[in-house]
Amino acid sequence: MTNFHYWLLLVTIEFLTIPALCQTTSFSQEWKFAHYLSDKEATDEATFVLQAFDKQSLTDSQRDSVAYLTGWLAYREKLLSEASDHLLAVSPSSPFYLKSRYFGAYCLAFQRQYDSTNAIMQHLPVPDSTLLELRAFEQGGLALLQRQYERYDTLRQHFSYSSYALSAEEKRMDAYRLGLQSRKHRSPVLAGLLSAAIPGLGKVYAGKSKQGIAAFLPVLTMGLLAWEGYRKDGPASLRFLGFGSLFTVFYVGNIWGSTLAVKVRRDEFNRGYDNKILFDMHIPLRNLLSR
Amino acid sequence: MTTKFYLICTFLYGICSVAKAQDIFTTADSLFMSGKFLSARVAYERVLFTNDEPAARFAAALGKARCLKQESLYASAVTFLNTQIQTDYADSLLYQLRHEQILCAYLAGQFENTLSLIERLPYLHPDVSETPLLMAVQVLALNELQRWNEAAIAYRALAIHVHADTTHLNPYQQLPHLKSEKKAQLLSTFIPGAGQLYAGKPGEAALSIVVQSAGLYFGITSFLQSYYLSAWGIGAGLFGSFHMGGVRRAQILVKQLNQKRASTFNVQTRKQVLELVK
Repeated sequence: MTNFHYWLLLVTIEFLTIPALCQTTSFSQEWKFAHYLSDKEATDEATFVLQAFDKQSLTDSQRDSVAYLTGWLAYREKLLSEASDHLLAVSPSSPFYLKSRYFGAYCLAFQRQYDSTNAIMQHLPVPDSTLLELRAFEQGGLALLQRQYERYDTLRQHFSYSSYALSAEEKRMDAYRLGLQSRKHRSPVLAGLLSAAIPGLGKVYAGKSKQGIAAFLPVLTMGLLAWEGYRKDGPASLRFLGFGSLFTVFYVGNIWGSTLAVKVRRDEFNRGYDNKILFDMHIPLRNLLSR
Repeated sequence: MTTKFYLICTFLYGICSVAKAQDIFTTADSLFMSGKFLSARVAYERVLFTNDEPAARFAAALGKARCLKQESLYASAVTFLNTQIQTDYADSLLYQLRHEQILCAYLAGQFENTLSLIERLPYLHPDVSETPLLMAVQVLALNELQRWNEAAIAYRALAIHVHADTTHLNPYQQLPHLKSEKKAQLLSTFIPGAGQLYAGKPGEAALSIVVQSAGLYFGITSFLQSYYLSAWGIGAGLFGSFHMGGVRRAQILVKQLNQKRASTFNVQTRKQVLELVK
């Protein structure tokens, strides 16, 4: 055996045994392991590995990587507040910055923090034309969530309607814009007045026809019973007073309910559109950036 | 000389790798023993991540499945084992993983899945004979699905397999008598309270009769006193509401009764089945 062979043997021994004995594992290995767990959808295990890092001893880029993966796991678990906190903490020098920024902004939009989302979206990185269009699309979605139609019209000028990842969503977003603006304004006062004239009519006006019919029948029944009591037993009779009181409660309650129905219907309408907009804002993000 | 040198290097590398894997295993097992199941899961996953040896990977997979079982995450264990069964293990190891998956599927309450996995075993592992434990699990899963006739056949097969005497202890000689929900509804539709009585609730039957009679009585007396609107609005309204409610209630009561009877029967049978495989 030559000296070179002895030397090589010693180096091999050192190379193999020292890490094993000291049980040290580098950040890169641990991060790869956490990423592997994340890919396997072993979220609890991946979070456990990420939490075990000593944050103080990490470099800035390592902290970014940990913040990105922690945020991504939280996003996948639908813990959007935690997800946005971690994703938006990733610094511009990180290779995960772009993805973290877009998804972090989306998480904020989902939490209805529109002003913060707007501030972040204005500075989203756009390395190519597709992402430029994606940014305009996300900002357009946000404008619709805020019901800023003129702003949406300005932003939609960046829509090409030809990108494979965006065209369908862009068309749907235009449809939502039309749908939102075509909504007829309903007045709670008018709904109340209509229900005062004909019980239940205010609810029909608010867009809740079945509730209107359901409200009309008990008020009518109570009214008829009170009238029968009045006609047969007189105004001082217990029958008239009892049914008259019940009729009054149902009648006034129905008027109050009709004014509320306008607000309830409006909230349902807005919530329905908000969910559709958020859903469509999400699809291109997943298609273009979820790698 | 050079050959010796390479052999020494290979040997040293092998020794170190084995020592490292052994070390992770020891850590994982000690974490499992001390009840730190999440940490143990991570340690077993680390073996799967770092090791290509089928034996080590198999032991780690089984270890993680055990952790998930200890944490009552049976459905997660089924999904996890599914991913492990895809990999290239030897047939005997695959059988053990499938065996574990069947147990987890039963514990997760996936009874249809349990039966489907059991039925696949003879095709996937034709050389392995049925184990009493899996036969018992099959009986119990069939019981839970209330497929008692099939369960009785599986029970007999199990009893023969373990050489037990079934003549005195066959629980399927008397199956639970389940009542018809439809019959309860029909009875309550035509005779107020009869559906509740059929469901074994005489108190509720009496209450149903009283409230429906009260509505009817009020309606008739109001009508006779020429209070036609009261007769319609209150008498008929109350009677109709309580009548329809009574019909629905009778159905719910029969459903609850059937669930209770099936559950009681299954608990008793489970004890006997487990006695057979002890």
